[in-house]
Order: sequence, then structure tokens, then C-alpha cells
Amino acid sequence: MSLVRRPSPAAQWYLPGILAGMWFTFKKMLSNLFNQKKMPTLNYPEEKYQYGPRFKGNHVLTVKKDGSIRCTACMLCATNCPAQCIKITAAESNDPTVEKYPISYEIDILRCVFCGFCEEACPVDAIRMGPEWQTAGLNGAKFTYDIQHLAYRPQLKGGIVSVLDDQERHRAGI
Amino acid sequence: MPKIKINGKEVEVPQGSTVIQAFKAAGQDICHYCWHPGLSVAGVCRLCMVQIEGMPRLQIACNTEVKDGMVVNNTSEAVKETVRWGMDFHLINHPLDCPICDQAGECGLQEQYMQFGSYDPEMAEPKVKKHKVVDLGPTVVLDSERCILCSRCVRFTDEVSKTHELGIFNRGDRSEIGVVEGKPLDNNYSLNTVDICPVGALTSKDFRFRQRVWYLKDADSICPGCSTGCNVKVHYNEEGLWRVKPRYNPDVNGYWMCDSGRDTYKFVNVQTRLLAGKIGQRGSWAEKSPAEATRSVAQRLNEVVEQSGPDAVAVVVTGQYTNEEYADLFKFLVQDLKVKNIFHWLNNPEKTTEFDGLLLRGDLNPNTQGLEGAFKANVGKGNWEDLQVGLSGGKIKLALVFGPENQSSFPDIKEKVQMLSQAQSMVWFTACHSADLDEAGCETWQIPLKTYIEKSGSFTNFQGKVQTFKVGTTVVPQALTVSEVCELLAGRDLNWALRPKSLGGAKANYATTHRGAL
Repeated sequence: MSLVRRPSPAAQWYLPGILAGMWFTFKKMLSNLFNQKKMPTLNYPEEKYQYGPRFKGNHVLTVKKDGSIRCTACMLCATNCPAQCIKITAAESNDPTVEKYPISYEIDILRCVFCGFCEEACPVDAIRMGPEWQTAGLNGAKFTYDIQHLAYRPQLKGGIVSVLDDQERHRAGI
Repeated sequence: MPKIKINGKEVEVPQGSTVIQAFKAAGQDICHYCWHPGLSVAGVCRLCMVQIEGMPRLQIACNTEVKDGMVVNNTSEAVKETVRWGMDFHLINHPLDCPICDQAGECGLQEQYMQFGSYDPEMAEPKVKKHKVVDLGPTVVLDSERCILCSRCVRFTDEVSKTHELGIFNRGDRSEIGVVEGKPLDNNYSLNTVDICPVGALTSKDFRFRQRVWYLKDADSICPGCSTGCNVKVHYNEEGLWRVKPRYNPDVNGYWMCDSGRDTYKFVNVQTRLLAGKIGQRGSWAEKSPAEATRSVAQRLNEVVEQSGPDAVAVVVTGQYTNEEYADLFKFLVQDLKVKNIFHWLNNPEKTTEFDGLLLRGDLNPNTQGLEGAFKANVGKGNWEDLQVGLSGGKIKLALVFGPENQSSFPDIKEKVQMLSQAQSMVWFTACHSADLDEAGCETWQIPLKTYIEKSGSFTNFQGKVQTFKVGTTVVPQALTVSEVCELLAGRDLNWALRPKSLGGAKANYATTHRGAL
């Protein structure tokens, strides 16, 4: 059975609908003109929205207290990544207290879906989703982030220190 | 044969077998670390506890002999509780660094803890710290903290390799596996200790940190390293092969394989392979697709046979190809072309009968027996002196060489290239590129062939046992098998719809490779 809903006779008139719409438009225009603070839109890019602290933006690799990279190259983030955008190459470290570390850690940010599974999978707080989100680029911009960018880009001011420290854990007998 | 009831299931096992073997025969799960079917019984892990009716206390299944009418279970609460606590004791000093441990994903401790362990450990004391990254020898690295002292590796060096390098030092919770100073773990079977280590204490230097095991797939194959023909599993992913591990076959290799056989994955990977057909000589090489290049070989072959007869063609064959390929090759050469000059290139004739007492044989070809059989069925083996005379006299115009797949076991490639390049032209069918071959002085074709893991077929080992294997993975899809080469040389075309697809590697992101195209 198909139901055909015909417009009511009142709606067939032209002017009432147009006038109702114009009334709404001019009402909003005037209220925005005289009360700009309540306006819901932002004047981007002069004004920027402040997202909450749990916002999942571009990745950050954390560092240890001595400034070296925290990541142990366990590849759990790469395993968990649904977009398969993380590529890690592990190697043996020269530092006797470190066994395994990444010589290359690359995130193809154009593939990334910002789900945050990498940070959830990480057992040592080595990767976090940071607050940055304005990272558009022109043709030729570098969208494959390497360790230099992920851990030591200028915005991070020398790197963010991980909450998990191997030496402390070692002393605690874990 | 005694009959025994395991978890309510009746099985019959041979006289003298142990309860744990009966568990395996009945297909019942039982927790165990130290027991390995290829080694003696140690009974040190105390995890294979079972309840035997009529015995007041729990017994270990690995060291209890089966008696007729025994009723055994490992599903009662008492057994489960004991195994749970036994597992907890094993983990007292285990560091639980699974994320950086290479064994994670194929670790006995992980698997069995998930199945039998208590998920709520009650140990609050600090862990005993031991040595990490101990260099045991040229192939193996030890992490003493991860070791649970099952003593499998020690028993392996005592009983199987009989080299007695490893031992357990110190007492109590400070016990560690180790070697005596100046006597490293350096024998041709050392990597078997890595295979049998149920935790990540022993790791192979070759495979360490290269891949996580859950990224790898495995395929059954036959080791092409020597004429023993050990049954192996090859672990690979889309980037290529990463390691070779033994597969149990009681008639051939048991549970073990040698370290040199474990290197047979290296020549399969794309870095060492010949990727396209090459035509030319020293200094000037042109590349063509393998099929195109083989068609031009067919043209030359027909010219030579028409002008100077089939005796102007010499064929050199190594024992590295499958029985099926030999059948096709000899059918084409002997029956269709009537070629009589076929020579067997044996890499180390004086060492073929050598044997190291365990697995490795001096004949480093997987299928010498198959090649001998093909010679016997078709045509007599040519004499190398005749070949030398024919080459220097100019009688032989074209040399077809089915060269070694595993070049590391053929030290005389350079000599053979120099010798055979006395012919007017030479065609060299080989899987890997070779610097010696690029220095060839006559007109040469290099045609890429497939390796053992990329084709199906069979090898006949030294016992005359025919072992079949199937395609595991494809590393170089454009490479040809010897059978396909014969088809092309005979002027027929291949079925291009059935050609293998490339592995692909990691897929490139369209948006990064074609920037500005959107």
C-alpha cells in the first residue's frame, strides 16, 4: 500500500511560507548583530575552538628523563592500528639498560583515523594522541611523520616525558 | 599394550610409554614445560600433575609409566589448584616483559598461563634480577630473567648435539643457564635450543627483533640445504621469508634441523634474487621479461640445432630442482631435441658421502638422487672432460646451465662460468643474481627461476624417500620453473591466467603518491 500525502490547502499559498522564512532569517540576523557574544559560530582562523583535554589529535611519542625515545618497539600499536598506518623497524640498542628500540617509527597521518587505539595498546605510555589538529598541508608537505617529528617537533619543546620509568620500576623490583 | 583411561577416555598406548604420552595420544590438554618428546625426562617443572586413582598424592605425568587399567585425570579441582600454584611459582621471578620479548605470540608460558594459570598472582616480593642479553655464542642470546629453568636446552646439548656446552649454574632462585668461559654455544645445532625454549630466554641472533611472530604465516616445505631433506616450516610475510624451523618427521629429521639449513631462507628473498631476464655479456646487460628472454633463447636453440645438430648443445644440471622439473627437462631435451651432452654438476664430489652423525650430509643438493634417477631413465651422464674438449674445440656452440639455486653451497661457480663461457653463447637459469655470472665473457642469457618455496614438486632424499611439498608463497612472481622454461623453449605459451600474483608489500597510500591529483 502506498500512501500519498497531499499538501494541505493552506500550504499551497505562496506568500505565508516565504514570509515566515524571511521573518526567521531577519530575526536571527538582528539578534546576532546586537548580541554578538551569543553567536554560535567562530571567526576561524582568527578565533580557535579549545577542545577538551581528551581530544585525540596528532600523535606524540614520549621521551625518557634523559631525552631518549620511550618506545620499546613492541609493535602493539602497529598491531592494533585499524588503518595500518604505523610502521616500526626495531633494532638492538647500544645502551646496556635498553634492549630493543625503534630505529624508525613512521605514521602515515593521511591513513590515520585518529581512533586512539595505539595509545590504548601501548604498555609503556610511549605514544599519546596530542592536542594538535590544525596540520593541513599543501602539495609536497610531509605527511609521513618520523621519530624526529613525533617526539622532538618544536611545539613539544624538547619532548614530553613518559609517566613510566624503567629505572624506577627496576628499583621497585618489578 | 596397556589400556589406560584418561579424563574418562580410553586409549591404548605402547608398553613403557609415560602418562604424558598417553595424554598426547588421547588428545587431552596437559600443562607442561620441561618435558619434550625428543629429550629425556627431567621432571623439574612439576606442572604436568595428574591424579591417578588409587594413589594418595598427585603424580607428574612425564615420569610415571603407564600400567594397564590406570585411571588418570587432570580435570579435578586438586590438580587444577596445584597447576595454578605451580604456574605462579614459575612466574615469581619472570620479568613479564612480553611486549619486548621475541617469544611473545608463540610462548609456552603465555599460552599455558592463559589456559591453566591463576589470573590473580599473590607474589608481592621484589623479583630476583639476573643477567640480561647474555651472549652465549655466535647464534644464540640468553636472557636469564625470562628463563624458567626447564633445562630443555641443557638436555639438548647433552643428549642430541652431545656438545655439552650449556649448564645450570648457582643455586635456588639464583640459578642461571650459562656456558663456561671460553666455551661458547657454538655447534651446528645450537638454534634448536631456541626452538625448544618454552619462554623467550634463548633467542636467535638472526631473527631477534626482526619481526613479531604474529605478523608471520607459515608454510610446510622441505629444506633444500642438503640431501637429508629435513621437513621444515617456513615463516614468511608479504616482505619475504624470515626464518626456517624444523617440522616433526620421525623417519627423516625427528624434531631437529641444523643451523646451516636455517639459512636457506636468505637466498629466497628479493634482495638476492634475479628479477628479470638479462641478455648480454660483461659490462653490457639488457633486461627483458623472463618469458621474453626465454623465447629468444628458444630461437637461438632452434638455430643451433638446425645448423650444427643437437650435439652442439651442452646441458649442465645441478641437483637442486624437483623430480617433476627433471622429468619435463629430460623429456624436452632427450626425446624432443635428441640432445646427448647432459652433464651433472656436483658441487663437492669428494665430500658427498660425508655425514656429521646427526643430520647434515656432505651432499649439499636436495635432489641428487632424483637427478641420478632421471639420468638413468633417459641418457647416460656426460663426462666433464668431454665437455672441456668440446668447449675448447668449438664443437659446443650453446651451453644451457640449470645452475644452483642456493649459491652458497656451490663454491666453484666462478670456475664453471669461465669454463662454460668458452662456448659461443651460454644460457644460465638461476634463482639468484651472481657477480661471477655478470662477468661472463660470452653472449649470455640469465633467466630467473623460482626457488623451492615458490613451486610444488618433490625431492628424493639420500634414503630414496620422495618428499612432496607445495607452493608456500611467491616472492618473485615473474620467475619461471624449469617446467615452464621447457614449455617456452619448445615454443608453447604459458597459461598467463594461472601465473602467481605478486606479494605486493605494504600498499602505497594513493593520496601520498599522487599528491595534487585529487
